[in-house]
Amino acid sequence: MKKIIIILMAGWCGLAVAQMNTPLSLRINAPAARPQGPTQINSDAADFDLNIHQGIYRGHVLVVDPSVRLTCEWLVVDLPQGGEHLSHVVAVTNVVVDFTNQNGEKYHVTSAKAVYDYKVVNTVTNETVTFTGKPVVESATSTIYSEPMVWDRARNRFSFTEPTMISHDTGTNGPAPKLF
Amino acid sequence: MRFNAASIWLAAGAAVFLAAGLSDRAQQLPVGHATDFTTISYFEPPHDQQVKMKLTGAEAQPLPGGLLDVKQLRVETFGLDGKTQVVVRAPQCTYAPLDGVANSAGHMELQSGDGKFHVQGEGFLWRQTASSLTISNHVQTVIDMPGAALNGT
Repeated sequence: MKKIIIILMAGWCGLAVAQMNTPLSLRINAPAARPQGPTQINSDAADFDLNIHQGIYRGHVLVVDPSVRLTCEWLVVDLPQGGEHLSHVVAVTNVVVDFTNQNGEKYHVTSAKAVYDYKVVNTVTNETVTFTGKPVVESATSTIYSEPMVWDRARNRFSFTEPTMISHDTGTNGPAPKLF
Repeated sequence: MRFNAASIWLAAGAAVFLAAGLSDRAQQLPVGHATDFTTISYFEPPHDQQVKMKLTGAEAQPLPGGLLDVKQLRVETFGLDGKTQVVVRAPQCTYAPLDGVANSAGHMELQSGDGKFHVQGEGFLWRQTASSLTISNHVQTVIDMPGAALNGT
């Protein structure tokens, strides 16, 4: 499957709307060490099954880690054991994800569902968030609609399928705005 | 997995439960109390010599219906390797020994054995046989996990 990669240099003037029929991949930034720190999850209520090591958070769920803020109504977490990394998280209903890349550029993603998966295979890290249910990602310079939408956190890259893209006019004569 | 049918009560302190008020069935109010008590559940065979869960309390006051008002509840669950999996603490709860159910409208905390997963909230229901915990309000979780490994480009 052919993919187009646009790396932080696409300049757009005026309002542009583009619909693409090929998968599109956008790099957000070069991979770099993310800020480290605990992950916090707050909610109205929660159920924990200690036999299968799973937690279900219900109502006004808020997840905050050093680089990402997520809100939703329902969150299922496979609880890490023995100091392992979180491996599988499912967020459902009114999913909103906000994050800022290393350049300080802000991203805002909405969808009906998001699935986080983390796995290390042969020293290669796979860390993805798959958004489904009318996902939209917005930045200062553009808005992209895609079903599904995959955020590859390990490589700092979004992958889109048949995306619709809207580029925003910055209204200045300064440097061309970046597309992500 | 299920717990053994019987839990073994170990009374480190005085454990005296005396039924009274038998003339009024609705008001069977036991008197007496236990202090520093422990109840232990074991894995099923062939691991029936290994502890699966230990429940301790600083004080237990009998309530109607065979319930206990427990102060300083501590529930600790173990894996087959003997390592602590989780520790649940609550300053106060109502415990039903025969059903293996504890609940409270008050504060509770849960922490994993390695200390890297911590949950607290207000109001809970602990089902011992199912090893399940429901927290009703203001759930706050902190997960301290290693940073994600990053690949090169």
